[in-house]
This record gives sequence, C-alpha cells and structure tokens, in this order.
Amino acid sequence: MDIQLKRGLLDVCVLAAIKNGDSYGYKIIKDLNPYIELSESTLYTILKRLEAASMLTVRSAEHDGRLRKYYHITDAGVRRIAEFKEEWKEVISVYRFVIMEDQHE
Amino acid sequence: MNKTEFLNKLRTALNGIPQDDIEERVSFYGEMIDDRMEEGLTEEEAVSGIGPIDEIVTQTLSEVPLTKLVKEKVKPKRELRAWEIVLIILGFPLWFSLFVAAFAVVLSLYIVLWALLISLWAVMVSFAAVALAGIAVSVVLFIKGFIPHGIAVLGVAIMFTGFSIFLAIGCVAASKGVVRLTKKIFIGIKSLFIKKETAK
Repeated sequence: MDIQLKRGLLDVCVLAAIKNGDSYGYKIIKDLNPYIELSESTLYTILKRLEAASMLTVRSAEHDGRLRKYYHITDAGVRRIAEFKEEWKEVISVYRFVIMEDQHE
Repeated sequence: MNKTEFLNKLRTALNGIPQDDIEERVSFYGEMIDDRMEEGLTEEEAVSGIGPIDEIVTQTLSEVPLTKLVKEKVKPKRELRAWEIVLIILGFPLWFSLFVAAFAVVLSLYIVLWALLISLWAVMVSFAAVALAGIAVSVVLFIKGFIPHGIAVLGVAIMFTGFSIFLAIGCVAASKGVVRLTKKIFIGIKSLFIKKETAK
C-alpha cells in the first residue's frame, strides 16, 4: 500500500481504537491486528503525531505495580474520525465506478 | 535477550538524541514488553516481538529533526571553562570556515547529482523535439512531393520517438532513485550524530 495512504489510515485506526474508551499501547496493536499490521515503532510515531495535533491526550496510571500510559481521544480526534468517514464516502464511490467500468470491458 | 538488556541496548543506540526523548522511548518499549509478558509470553518472546533495535533507531532518526541532533551534539556536557570559550572565539575564523567548506562540499555533490538528472531529462526532451520536428518536416515533404525524402525523415523521427520513450523510462527511474537516495543520505547524516557517541 502507498506509504502516505497507509499513514493516513493508521492515524484514523489508532483514533478509532481509543474512541470507545481509553486504551494503552499493546492493546491498540492487538485491537488493530486483525485489520492492519502495526509495529511498535510505528505506533509510537503515530501516538506522538496525534498528541502533537491535540487529537489525543496521555495519562499515566498504575497497573499491576507499574505505570502504564493510557491514551484518551479529544474532540479534535473525534472530529478527525468524522472527517475520515466523509472523505471515504467519496473514495468508495470512485472505487465502485472503477470496478463497474472494469467489468464492462 | 531479556528486557533490561534490550532497553539498555536501545538506550545506547539512541545516544545522541535528547535525553528526554530517549527515556520516553525506553519507557514506551518497556511497557510493551511488560504487557506482552502479562499475556503469558516469556521475557525472551516478549522482547523478540518488539522487533530489531536497528529498525527503532532508523525510525527514530527519521522523526527527530536534524537541528535537534546537532544541538544535542554541540551542547557541552559541562560548563565551559573561560579558556575554552576564548579558544572557541579565537578559533572562529578557522573552524567556521572549515564547517562552511564541509557544508559546501556536501551541497555541491548533491547539486551535481541533480544537474546530472536535469541533463538526462534535457536529452530526453531534445530527442522528443527532434521526433516532433521530423514528423512535421516529413509531412511538408510529402505535400511537396518529395516522397523518398519524406519517408527517410519520417523514419528518423520514429527512431527518435523510440529513443525518447526509452530515455523517459530511464529518467523517471533515475529521478525516483535520487529522491530515495536523498532520504537515505539524510538519515545517514543524522546517524553520524549518534553513531559517534556510541563508539566512545
């Protein structure tokens, strides 16, 4: 897959993974695993980028005697997901057109 | 490799980027290993699941801006003594000109690379121009009734069309290569700043 495209998709995937409740690094990777492959170092980059863009916030909480970082989605993050859905409606209609023209051949 | 070894290696490999950035990454990967072990993986398995340290270093280098690396490198580890400051100021004409020269050499090499690429494209464009002109001339020759001449010129034009198509393919590939090389060179320059530190 095109790198730019994958990068954009991964950002939204990570936001989606924390949308319905705060999550932590390893859980995000596990939750996304059936859909898209994500390495730890890539996840780190994405989390940093999303944090810099104020789409998520980070807090440390104790878990089992150690600290774990939990990621919480912000309003800007929720808006990004909504934007993504709108953008991809268009992409999907283009995709349908391409498939249709391909079958007419 | 166990967790402590892995994190220590990572810390050493990242030496040269700001300390805060190192610690943040180390704690991130530490947490990942802990979470994997909590799932029932052994320490070794959890560590190997993180992937090679080199990959983390390359990724980190592509993210941390060069200016930050230079600043970290230049930042003195302790307060400078008075004579050191005097020496730096007195030596300014020397070290600054050397620095500018080194920078100019790297820049000129890079410009040469692009000049090569531009000349390649220029050849391609001129071949295409010859092809177009040839076709136009042959049309004129046909109209004027110089049929054999027209056929000869048309043949040359078609030959040049072929050349320019071949060259275009080569030019595109070369341009992509140079762009990729640029990225590699940039990461290479950045790694200079951290490799030296670890060698000490």
